[in-house]
Amino acid sequence: MAMRDLVNGGAACAVPGSSSSSNPLGALTNAILGSSSKAQERLKEIPNATRSGPGPQFYSEDQHLRSLPGSELDQPVLQPGAQGAEFFRGFRSVDQNGLGAAWDEVQRGGPMPPPMGPMYEPVQPTFEGPPQRVLSNFLHSFVESSRGGIPFRPAPVPVLGLSQSDKQCIRDRSSIMARHFFADRGEEFINAQVNALLSSLDIDDGIQARGHIPGRFRELDDYWNESQAVMKPGLHPADSWAAEFNQHGMDHGGPDAWVQSFEQQHGVNGWATEFEQGQSQLMSNQMRSMDMQNLAAMEQTRKLAHTLSQDGNPKFQNSRFLQFVSKMSRGELIIDENEVKPGPAPGEWATEYEQQYLGPPSWADQFANEKPLNPLVKLMMIGLAVVVDLHFCLGNLSHGPEQWADEFASGRGQQESAEDQWVNEFSKLNVDDWVDEFAEGPVGESSADAWANAYDEFLTERNAEKQASGVYVFSDMNPYVGHPEPMKEGQELFRKGLLSEAALALEAEVMKNPENAEGWRLLGVTHAENDDDQQAIAAMMRAQEADPTNLEVLLALGVSHTNELEQATALKYLYGWLRNHPQYGAIAPPELADSLYHADIARLFTEASQMNPEDADVHIVLGVLYNLSREFDRAISSFQTALKLKPNDYSLWNKLGATQANSVQSADAISAYQQALDLKPNYVRAWANMGISYANQGMYKESIPYYVRALAMNPKADNAWQYLRLSLSCASRQDLIEACESRNLDLLQKEFPL
Amino acid sequence: MATTQLKSDAIMDMMKEHLSTDAGKEVTKKIGLVYQINIAPKKLGFEEVTYIVDLKKGEVTKGKYEGKVDATFSFKDDDFVKVATGKMNPQIAFIRGAMKIKGSLSAAQKFTPDIFPKPSKL
Repeated sequence: MAMRDLVNGGAACAVPGSSSSSNPLGALTNAILGSSSKAQERLKEIPNATRSGPGPQFYSEDQHLRSLPGSELDQPVLQPGAQGAEFFRGFRSVDQNGLGAAWDEVQRGGPMPPPMGPMYEPVQPTFEGPPQRVLSNFLHSFVESSRGGIPFRPAPVPVLGLSQSDKQCIRDRSSIMARHFFADRGEEFINAQVNALLSSLDIDDGIQARGHIPGRFRELDDYWNESQAVMKPGLHPADSWAAEFNQHGMDHGGPDAWVQSFEQQHGVNGWATEFEQGQSQLMSNQMRSMDMQNLAAMEQTRKLAHTLSQDGNPKFQNSRFLQFVSKMSRGELIIDENEVKPGPAPGEWATEYEQQYLGPPSWADQFANEKPLNPLVKLMMIGLAVVVDLHFCLGNLSHGPEQWADEFASGRGQQESAEDQWVNEFSKLNVDDWVDEFAEGPVGESSADAWANAYDEFLTERNAEKQASGVYVFSDMNPYVGHPEPMKEGQELFRKGLLSEAALALEAEVMKNPENAEGWRLLGVTHAENDDDQQAIAAMMRAQEADPTNLEVLLALGVSHTNELEQATALKYLYGWLRNHPQYGAIAPPELADSLYHADIARLFTEASQMNPEDADVHIVLGVLYNLSREFDRAISSFQTALKLKPNDYSLWNKLGATQANSVQSADAISAYQQALDLKPNYVRAWANMGISYANQGMYKESIPYYVRALAMNPKADNAWQYLRLSLSCASRQDLIEACESRNLDLLQKEFPL
Repeated sequence: MATTQLKSDAIMDMMKEHLSTDAGKEVTKKIGLVYQINIAPKKLGFEEVTYIVDLKKGEVTKGKYEGKVDATFSFKDDDFVKVATGKMNPQIAFIRGAMKIKGSLSAAQKFTPDIFPKPSKL
């Protein structure tokens, strides 16, 4: 009884003048449980107290990781917050209401309603007064002995008149606590200590300790036996027990309410899973006190996972790597000495741990070896054992409390070891030393082998994809297929400025007539104006195949490759333009095509421009050439010269603007773009360039409506989506990043009207 | 040699100009670190061109730095362009092995796409 006081803080038996209120163990337990004598009294008054729902806020879900594919069944990530308290509260609401009620109900059903529950045992009047104090002091001395690690000496104790159940209670509890106190000692020492205590108290070591009490709780026994009988291999006993209990509860009524409700909330296997989750949260708290670094690592991992999940590439989303990280975050995979191993599945961990580590002293050792051991941690462990014991008190009928506690303890150990292992390992890989480790050598040689290799496959895929670029990608579901005159329709749509529609009509045309160079060319121009250089290049290459000497095609290819910063290729096409020009072709020596140098080409074009200063096209090509060599001032003056000859060429205004923007004259650029847009309001490229100019001036907020405008006209403009995302985050509009990622144009247009 | 010119050169040239603008000075003020960026044409670690993006002084220079840089990044040419233009998140780049990092983690974390100006299109 007083042993219970010791851990219970004397809450249940408010003996006047009792010293137990100053008991540090009790105080701690109180703090953990948050329980007061009032709560327990209330429970006694209402033995069949209605359940208030077990732990509604058991844990808070992590939204970020939830968004990871395959994480639907994920357990929540360990939170660095005050989850431990939450965890305990969750337990308490189960215990004090549902479990307690269930317990009482079972008790009443039994032939001999005894005071058995270690925590809810009604105060027996026989313990009031001196005998209790004697026992209390006696047990204190037992605990004292543990601190020094001195063998406990049996002392003569007056007859206390302990009841059978009290004796068992003391016996069970003392052996559990002894295991904590003497965690660093051998099993023999523990047994000796416990036996010394028990013999002093005249408690028979063998008495009903491990076995159940025959006839007392027959009903529960039956349940247990039945559940054992139907237990499937691999299923955690506790699961079956809960399920079985629940099943029988249908005709039994009250006591199983908590099981039922718990199941409703958490699913059939919820019990074990929930418990495990609670455990991991608790562990995260303990880990925090011991190792802030690990927690920082986990935080980092979460961020990483979040970032990964935001990568738009569907291939990446489905990649084995991301699944791997997800699994690792769920604990399904652990990294052990550079080998990835399957983690313990929920429900099996306890068993697995037992096989691995043979019993509870291991984890206690782990704690004990971490000198100096924080006394608070030790106290926490004891308090925890009490809570757990309480939670499992129904189980001890056939199992004996140690076994439950052992199982729990081993589960804890396993949890911790798994957690530690992967956190340590991961932080080694990713956070603390990531920089150095990765800098040391090629990825393949570092300890990150496993996941780097898993990712190689993806990289290969990606490269293959990139090499495949230059192939024109047709749209699905083209309404213009079957149109009688798609070419005419496409030209008409292009003239009206409906670029995306025009592209579809022209696609229909080139599908019908793949050799139509003009169809391909106009398609290429359309894509360029729609701010899609990849498709523009692909279409122009088909146009060039059909008509290799078309000057417009060659110029367009030169421009698009310039935009893609592909200097050598751009130079090749621009030189091709010169060679194929009826007037200037003569000045371009054919042997130059083998080794193109920018300076040579520029010199030739300057020569050409002198031959015919009124030819705007030469100035345009020169402007592009100077863009290539980033001689922006010359490029600007070339375009300005060309504009004097062709003032209504909107694409020329855009070229001027882009050049000015690239030479950090953003203010001038914006007025040039404005000219282009006055001439062609649906010029997607100019809208997007507007956005870029604002963003490059640090005016991210102002840039957003321009990107949105461009995207409203061509939702396929990937560049604009990326820039929009950057601007949103730089303008602190993270709230709309989601809309950007899901490409929700309606929402964005509503939010950013131009 | 014109043919071996890197796409990244264009970004770096723009960056050099960009740092003289108000927006560029803002970046310098915000970051205040020196980055070394090694860019390889095809294969990481081979024929690397070294740039120093000095966000303390607001300069971009080619070649080694006199002193200690806060972080060094290694890219392939294409990958650097992707990161600088916001097509690829630096963290993703790192995980994919497209970016290697040496130096301080906190310095590396400040290396974000928004410090680079975006090229406009002709």
